[in-house]
Amino acid sequence: MVNEDRWEPKIVAFLCHWCSYAGADLAGVSRIQYPPNVRVIRVPCSGAVNPLYILRALREGADGVLVSGCHPGDCHYLSGNYFARRKFFLLKELLSWLGIEEERVQFSWVSASEGQRFAQVVQDVVESVKRIGPSRKMVKEFLLHV
Amino acid sequence: MYEEEIRALSVKLLDEVEGVIGYSWGTLPFRARPFLCQKKEDVTHLVFNHFCGSNLARYLLSGELKEKKIAILAKACDARAITVLIREGQVKRENLVIVGIPCYGMVDRKKLEERFGPLQPQDFEWHLDSLTFKGENLSIGPFLEATCQRCLHPNPPLYDHLIGQEVTYIPRKRWNNDALTKLDMVSREERWAFFAGEFEKCIRCYACRNSCPLCYCKECFAEMQRPYWLSGAATPSENLFFHVGRSLHMAGRCVECGACERACPVDIPIALLPCKVEELIRGNFDFEAGIDPDKEPPLLTYRENDPGEFIR
Repeated sequence: MVNEDRWEPKIVAFLCHWCSYAGADLAGVSRIQYPPNVRVIRVPCSGAVNPLYILRALREGADGVLVSGCHPGDCHYLSGNYFARRKFFLLKELLSWLGIEEERVQFSWVSASEGQRFAQVVQDVVESVKRIGPSRKMVKEFLLHV
Repeated sequence: MYEEEIRALSVKLLDEVEGVIGYSWGTLPFRARPFLCQKKEDVTHLVFNHFCGSNLARYLLSGELKEKKIAILAKACDARAITVLIREGQVKRENLVIVGIPCYGMVDRKKLEERFGPLQPQDFEWHLDSLTFKGENLSIGPFLEATCQRCLHPNPPLYDHLIGQEVTYIPRKRWNNDALTKLDMVSREERWAFFAGEFEKCIRCYACRNSCPLCYCKECFAEMQRPYWLSGAATPSENLFFHVGRSLHMAGRCVECGACERACPVDIPIALLPCKVEELIRGNFDFEAGIDPDKEPPLLTYRENDPGEFIR
């Protein structure tokens, strides 16, 4: 069982190689402090994030998922993030319609020069997930009991 | 309904095609089943009525029919599914003769049973948008399947021959009984309680997927080994994953025919999920599957002003 007192959220972050991952790197080399709850997975482009990745992360016990890519217009592959935006819109709307908390799946645009902003986004995501507590609805059943 | 016309046309068509995919009566009353008519003497088995729910476009994908010239009976949703299949390169337009049928909706046997108790076929007389039960004339609206009550396109958008007259009303407006709108009105917690209960029932038989005319992946993500998205265990979390994943795979492709719901052995209103996605697409991306074959599907294109407020 999750110990509610000492519980810290686990956040899986899919960061695009060209912008957000570099932004996270900049936050690191600039020694900007941000919560250590985030587990970063680098992907080539936010458009390469299959919505099933997000569902899978939630099922495997993530309390929140953050997907971050280049700002609209800045995509290294020109339009990957525009396609991603449509997919994420549908996923987000469908999950929240089904009754999953909106904070579980979050999206952001962070460029390679926005180290400070990356730290702020992570801070916000962790805080909002802490407010709603541990994930229960989409997690594998046996993880709820270990 | 329309049986004389269908049979006469089928006899003519059988000169040029290898078979006509249509419906015949099933072994149980109030059930019709898909029927491949290949001989002229068999056309008397062809029927059309309010129980011809299965989406025949599904049968165009079977290996033996794929390369043959085939005629197919198509209600509006069948014709829309065929349009999507053509667009996706799954069937060839020149191999098809589409016999369009304006559709007044399919009747849900369960709703009939609820109202009239044990059903006897001889008690009923069927008309286009009404029925007569022991002499009493009733509107067909309350007995239609949920997806038919919220139908927006009763007339096939694509056909070579049209049987009967076009439907002159929009069923969703006339019946005013949209299951999706009703769900939209309850709170998120109530909706979760509803769906959690429904997904708990799922036994993951994949009948929904197998009856869907547009679920034709050779290897479904539900059964993939690499990556191993999900196991076959019918636990609530895996069921949710499967149904959400499937709805997203159907995004911009689902023609809202309700084949999945009809096939479900445990009566989960599964069509609600893909229909919700289609409703979002209709509202935000201005697209409907299977209506205009030349329009780019919504997830293969984008606009710079797409909704993006949800992204920080």
